[in-house]
Amino acid sequence: MSSSGIVIALLILAPALLVGAAFLASSSRAVIRLCAWGTAAVAAVAAYALWMVFTTGPLFAAGTWLMLDALSAYHLGVMMLVFLLSGFYSVSYFRREIEENIFPRKMARRYGGLWFGSLTAMITVLVSNNLGVMWVGIEATTLLTAFLICIHVTPGSLEAMWKYLLMCSVGVAVAFTGTLLIAASTAAGSQLTHALLWTHLLQGAAGLNPFLIKAGFIFLVIGYGTKVGLAPMHSWLPDAHSQAPAPVSAIFSGFLLNTALYCILRCLPLVEAATGNTGWGREILVVFGLLSILVAAIFIVAQHDIKRLLAYHSVEHLGIIAVGVGIGGIGVWAALFHVFNHSVCKALSFFCAGTLGQVCGTHDMRRMTGILRSSPVWGGGLIGSLLALIGTAPFALFMSEFLILKAALDGKAYATAVLFLTGLAIVFVGALRHVIPVAWGPETSPRVYGRASATETALVCVPLVALLVLGLWLPAILIDVLNRAAGLLGGGL
Amino acid sequence: MTGLLDAILVMLILTSFLLLGSSRLGACIRIGALQGIMVGLIPVAASGADITARILAIGAAIIGLKGFVFPRLLTWALRDSDTSSELKPFVGYTASLLAGIASLVASFWLASKLDLAAGASSQLVVPVAFSMMMTGLFLIVARRLAVNQVIGYLVIENGIYVFGLAVARDVPVLVELGVLMDVFVAVFVMGIAIYRINREFDHIDSDQLTTLRG
Amino acid sequence: MSASSIVSVMLGLILAPLLFGVINRTKAWFAGRRGQPLLQTYHDLMKLLRKGAVYSRTTTLVFRLAPAVELAAILLALAILPAGGVPAVLAFSGDIVLFIYALGLMRFFTVAAALDTGSSFEGMGASREVYFSALAEPAAFIGLAVLVRLGGGASLSVMFSGIGKAAWLAAGPALALVAVALLIVFLAENARIPVDDPNTHLELTMIHEVMILDFSGPDLALILYATSLKLWVLGALIVNLVLTLTDWTGMSRMAAFMAGMMILAVLVGIIESVMARMRLLKVPQLLIGAGALSALALILVMRSAL
Repeated sequence: MSSSGIVIALLILAPALLVGAAFLASSSRAVIRLCAWGTAAVAAVAAYALWMVFTTGPLFAAGTWLMLDALSAYHLGVMMLVFLLSGFYSVSYFRREIEENIFPRKMARRYGGLWFGSLTAMITVLVSNNLGVMWVGIEATTLLTAFLICIHVTPGSLEAMWKYLLMCSVGVAVAFTGTLLIAASTAAGSQLTHALLWTHLLQGAAGLNPFLIKAGFIFLVIGYGTKVGLAPMHSWLPDAHSQAPAPVSAIFSGFLLNTALYCILRCLPLVEAATGNTGWGREILVVFGLLSILVAAIFIVAQHDIKRLLAYHSVEHLGIIAVGVGIGGIGVWAALFHVFNHSVCKALSFFCAGTLGQVCGTHDMRRMTGILRSSPVWGGGLIGSLLALIGTAPFALFMSEFLILKAALDGKAYATAVLFLTGLAIVFVGALRHVIPVAWGPETSPRVYGRASATETALVCVPLVALLVLGLWLPAILIDVLNRAAGLLGGGL
Repeated sequence: MTGLLDAILVMLILTSFLLLGSSRLGACIRIGALQGIMVGLIPVAASGADITARILAIGAAIIGLKGFVFPRLLTWALRDSDTSSELKPFVGYTASLLAGIASLVASFWLASKLDLAAGASSQLVVPVAFSMMMTGLFLIVARRLAVNQVIGYLVIENGIYVFGLAVARDVPVLVELGVLMDVFVAVFVMGIAIYRINREFDHIDSDQLTTLRG
Repeated sequence: MSASSIVSVMLGLILAPLLFGVINRTKAWFAGRRGQPLLQTYHDLMKLLRKGAVYSRTTTLVFRLAPAVELAAILLALAILPAGGVPAVLAFSGDIVLFIYALGLMRFFTVAAALDTGSSFEGMGASREVYFSALAEPAAFIGLAVLVRLGGGASLSVMFSGIGKAAWLAAGPALALVAVALLIVFLAENARIPVDDPNTHLELTMIHEVMILDFSGPDLALILYATSLKLWVLGALIVNLVLTLTDWTGMSRMAAFMAGMMILAVLVGIIESVMARMRLLKVPQLLIGAGALSALALILVMRSAL
C-alpha cells in the first residue's frame, strides 16, 4: 500500500483501536488520561498527514474511496486541535468529578469509548471521497455523540439527548435523500460505483442534470443543516450543548457542527458547476446563514444559562460561516479562517464555562457574577472568549467577520451586508448585557477555589493569546493553507 | 414482475394508513415490522428475472433486521413501561387518516410534476416513496410517545429506501450495508434511550419533556 | 327491459328474505346450536302482515308513510341493479347516482319516522345512523367511481359488463381495494357487526333496531322486507364485482350470482360470529379507513390522468 494509503488508514484505525483501549482502562483517571494522550497520538498522525497534503498534494486510499485534499486536511487540522485541547481539558474537568465520586469507572469507560468512537466517525467523514461513506460517518457521529450528552443521567440531559437523536436522525435521513438525488444526477451511462465519488462528480460536473442536483442540494442543506444547527432546524442545539459535560460541548460546538457544514461545502462546487455558476447554491447558503444569525441574535438577548448562551453563539457563528461561503470570493477565505477562529474560541469558552459551573455549582449567569475577581484565570478566559465571540477587535474573529462584510460590500450584496451587521450588532449588545455583570458585578456568594494549575492556565491563555495574535498578524503558511482550501470552493484571496 | 412490485407498493401504502390509524403500541410495532418485510421484498421483486445472490442477501438482511430485530428491540425497550397505547396524540386518529390520504394525493401530484422515475420499473415507486416520507414525518410530529416517534423514523427510512430504488439505479453494496447498519444502530440507540427515559421519568411521553425551554 | 331482467328482479324479490335465514343459520352453527329454520323470515313476514298495527299518539303522517316509501325506494334501487351479467330493468347513464340516492331516500324516511316518534332512544339511533352513513357514502361513491372509470360507462349495468379479466390484470390491486371498501360499506349500511349488533336487546347499543322500535304489524313487515332487499341490493354490488373475474355468461352466470349471494350471506354470518362489535368511537375510523381504501384505488386508477 502506498504511504498515503497507510497514513489515511492509520488515521481511521488509531482512534478505533483506542476505543477498545478505553474499555480496558483500569480506573476513571486512567480513562481520562488515555483520552488526552490518545488524542495527542492521533493528532500526531494527523499532523503528518497534513504535512504530506500541503507539500505533495491530495492523498488517496482504498481506490479513491478515501481522500484527503486541502479542504478536508484543513478541517482535519482544526478538528485535531479542538480535540487535543478538549482532551487535555477533560483531565482537569473530570478530576474534580472523580474527587466528588460522581464519575465511576463504568461511566468513565463508556465516556472514553464514545469519545474515541466519535473521533473515528468524524475522521471518516473528513477523509471520505464517497458521498455515501460520508453519510454513514455523519449518522455514526449522531449516534455515538448522543450518549455522550447524557453521560450523567439527569432529566435535562435525557430530554436533550432524545431531541438531538430524533431531530438529527431525521435530518440525516433527509440528507440521504439528497445524496441519492446527487447520485442520480450523473449521466445515465456512467459507472455505477463511481456515481457517488466526489472527484468523479467534480470532473463531470458540467454534465450533471441541473434539476436533480438542485433538488439534491436543497435536501442536503436542510438535512445536513439540521446537524449544523442552521435555523430553523436548530432547536436541538441549545439543549444538547448545554446539557452535555463541558469537554463534550466543546467538541460539539468546536467541531461537530463544522463537520456537517463541511459535507454541505463539499457539494457546493458540484452545484455551482452544474447550474452554470449562477450562484444559486450560494444564495441558499446565504439565506440560511442570515436566518441563523438573526434567530440566534434574538435568543441570545434572552438567555440566563451560560452554556445555552454559548450554544446560541454557535448557531450564530455557523451562520456567519455559511454567509461567508455563500458570498464567494474573499468571503470563502474569510469563512474558512472563521472556522478556525470560532472552533478555538468556542472550545475555550466552554472550558471556562464548564469549570466555573463546577465551581459555582450552577450555570445560571445571574448567580455567577464577579468571576473576574474570584477566579482570575477561568473568569478571564471566559470573559475574553466571550468578547472575542461577539466580535471585539482586535481578536481574529473580528478580522474574519470584517473580511466577510467587505466581501459582501464588494459584491454589491447590500441587503446581505445590512442584515449581517444588524444580527451581529444585536448579538454584541445582547451578549455584553450578560457579560458585564458576570465579569464585574458584585460577587453573589463566597466561593472557595484553589489556584489554577500550570496546565490549566496554559490551556486558557494560549488559545486566547493565539486569537489575539492572529487578529493582528497572519503567518504566511496559514494564508497559503487557507488559499488552497478556499480554492476548492471557488474562492480565495 | 411489475404486477408484484405494484402489489407490494400498494401494501406499503396500506401499512402506512394502518400506522396512522393505530393507537395500540403493540399493533404499531407489528405493522412497522410488516412494512419492513415488504420493503425487504422490493429488491427481489424489482429485479425480476435477473436475481443475483447479492440482491437476495440484501433482501434477506432487510427482512431480518426490519421485520424481526427492530420489533424485538422496541418491545424490549418497552419492557418496564406501563403505557400500552397512545391515548392523547397531538393529531387525532381520524384526522391522521385524512392527512394520510391528502399526503398520498399530494405525493402523486408532486411525482407527476417532478418526472424523476425515467428508469424505474414501476410508475408507483416515486409517489409511494414521497407518501411514506410524509407519513413518517407526520408520525414523528403528531405522536407523543417516543416509541411511535421511532416508528415514524423507520417509516421515513423505508420511504427513502423506496425512493433510492427509483432514483439511483444501483447503490454500491458497501454503502447499502452501511446504511442498513446505521439504521440498526440508530434503532438500537433509540431503544436504549427510551428505556432510560422510562426509568428516569416513569413515562415515555415526549411532550412531558419540557424542562429545557428558550 | 328484457325478460331476463324482469326474472332477475323477481328472483331478488323472492330470495331476499332467505339471506337472513342463511346468516342466522351460519351464526347458529358457529354457536353449536341448530338455529332457526332457513325460511323463518318468510314466516315472520306472514305473521306480521296478519297482525294489526298500533300507532303512538305522538306520531304523524310521516310515521305512517315511512314504511311504504322505504319499500318503494328500495324497489327502485332493485330495478337499477344488474344481476349476474343481465342488464337491469332501468338502465341509463348516471343511474349510479339514482341508485345511491334511492338508498339515501330510504334512510331518510327511516330516520324521519324515528324522529317523528319523539322518543329519545330513537333519536339517538337516528343520529348515529346518519353519522355513520355520512362517513360511508364517500367510500361507496369513490369506489363506484373507480368501477365507472374501469368499466367505461356511468351506469351500473354498463359498468359491470365492461370490467373483465383484462381490467383485473391491469388494475387488480385497485379492484381488490374497492371490493374491500364496498364490503365495509355493506356491513355498515346493513347494520351488521362490527358496526351494529342486530341481536342486541339493549336500546343504548342499538342503531338500526332502535329506529324501528315503534313499528308494528304490516308496517314492520314492510320494513323487514325492505331491510332484506337492502341487504340483497348492496350485496349484489359486491358479488357482481367479484363475478367480473370470470367470464361466464347467460344462465351459468346467473346461477353463479345466486350462489355468490348465498356465499356472501355465509361470509356475513362468519364475520358476525368471529368478530365483536366495535366501540362506537372507533366506527368512524373504520369508515374513513374504507374511504381511504377507495381513494387509494381511485388514485391508482387515475394516476395516468394526474
